[in-house]
Amino acid sequence: MDSAKKITKKLSKKDVNKSFWIYQLGCEESNSYERLQSLIYCASMIPAIKKLYGDSKEAQKEALKRHLTFFNTEGTIGASIQGITLAMEEEKANGADISDAAITSIKTGLMGPLAGIGDSVIWSALMPIVISIFIPMAKNGNALGGLLPLLIYTLLTLYISYVLIHRSYSVGRSAIIDLLQNGMIKEVIYGANVLGMMMMGALSANYVTITTPLKIHVTGGSTIILQTILDSMFKGILPLTAVLVIYWYMQKKGPRYSVIIGTIIAVSLIGSFFGIL
Amino acid sequence: MNNLLLAVVMGLYFWFANLRFGYTFSGMLKQPVCVALVVGLITGQMAEAMTIGAGIQLMFLGVTSTPGGNVPNDPALAATIAIPIAVTIHMNATAAVALAVPFGILGVFLDQLRRTINAVWVHMADKDAEKLNYRGIYLAAFVYPAIMGLIIRFPVVFAANFFGRGAVQALITAIPQWLMHGFEVMGTLLPALGFALTISVIGKKKLLPYFFIGFIAVAYFKAEIMAVAVIGICIAYLVRKNANREEA
Repeated sequence: MDSAKKITKKLSKKDVNKSFWIYQLGCEESNSYERLQSLIYCASMIPAIKKLYGDSKEAQKEALKRHLTFFNTEGTIGASIQGITLAMEEEKANGADISDAAITSIKTGLMGPLAGIGDSVIWSALMPIVISIFIPMAKNGNALGGLLPLLIYTLLTLYISYVLIHRSYSVGRSAIIDLLQNGMIKEVIYGANVLGMMMMGALSANYVTITTPLKIHVTGGSTIILQTILDSMFKGILPLTAVLVIYWYMQKKGPRYSVIIGTIIAVSLIGSFFGIL
Repeated sequence: MNNLLLAVVMGLYFWFANLRFGYTFSGMLKQPVCVALVVGLITGQMAEAMTIGAGIQLMFLGVTSTPGGNVPNDPALAATIAIPIAVTIHMNATAAVALAVPFGILGVFLDQLRRTINAVWVHMADKDAEKLNYRGIYLAAFVYPAIMGLIIRFPVVFAANFFGRGAVQALITAIPQWLMHGFEVMGTLLPALGFALTISVIGKKKLLPYFFIGFIAVAYFKAEIMAVAVIGICIAYLVRKNANREEA
């Protein structure tokens, strides 16, 4: 019987693209505390569902409900989950024995690890790096300092997710598992992190401009300017200390934003009042 | 009149950026350097707007959503209020950073409100799925959150811009010199928070030496940022194999 089975329902490149755009445009818009990205994920499957299950209302309803279950991932890298799901739906529509649970478990199984990769590469490294490179331009009053990051970051991330959804659709489940275990993705993350660290060091030296105006009058008429002494010890010792102390605190206590900001406010005002900063 | 226009545009910008239409596109629209671009276009003071925007940007550099999409601070709300006000009253770029602080924190509550309300649409979509109403699902995913967003976001930024400018101006002329200087000190320190947060989200203690290399390149050798970026890419390429030696 199996040999008689033909691939009669096939998604075109255009169908995959529709899915791609729906998810890339709206994956955070309808995000809710209850089921996070489930709504948009379901919406992104609609073009494929219409095409694959066009002849059965029941099958369409089931497919919609299947994709309205809890889902959340990082959208750029997460596009590969869409590709796999589309491939699985296609097989299912052509009669393969794929259960709802199989599709849902592939989705939920991949969403965590891929979100981990996406958050650490796309948002924690790539975004600050792209902005940082053009910060000097912006600081000098150049509009390109805002325009170029917007263009470069958007196009680059769209390109990545476009490649991922098409690649994972055509190669399927095995591809993404390879990707996760592949050494190359680790190297890319590592490289991005190294670059990110260097950029943060460079920006800290450039833009944390804290200095002390403190002068000590010594008997005999001469004055000691504290900042000069600090500079001769290590250039930028105050900015460096500021960054490292905040970093150290975050490592110890977690990113307690309000405590850190509160402390910065207090230190600045007290320092200013007594003429130390 | 210009004040009204600026307040309206900022209100709409904040609504649109936080709508998150376009995943990474909107993620970048929320950044102060992009807000500054729009403020510059409307006020005609591009240079001033970009400089102030860059200063505020640094504080928010590492602010990306944590797993699950919760934001610790909202750069978009801070920027759409602080940048236009600072530009129109010709505030010192360093002090403008301090002005951005309270609004960034306020923005978190607005985002929580939005994501709580968004649960309503997914329930509507459940019913649409039952009725095979495809149009309804699209509306729930794109249109309803947009309308709700306009209602909860636009008024906040519009009012802060429209009424806030006078208040901030009055405040600045009224406060003593040491306090004003205190705000400037704050502006020189707050970027440190942005950098520390970025190092923290990169999350690899072993990579700290690269931070020091970048720091010294600028502090001692006066390297430009672009030069550090290129050197950084080269070093990243050379050391990439170390990735396999470390834990996954």
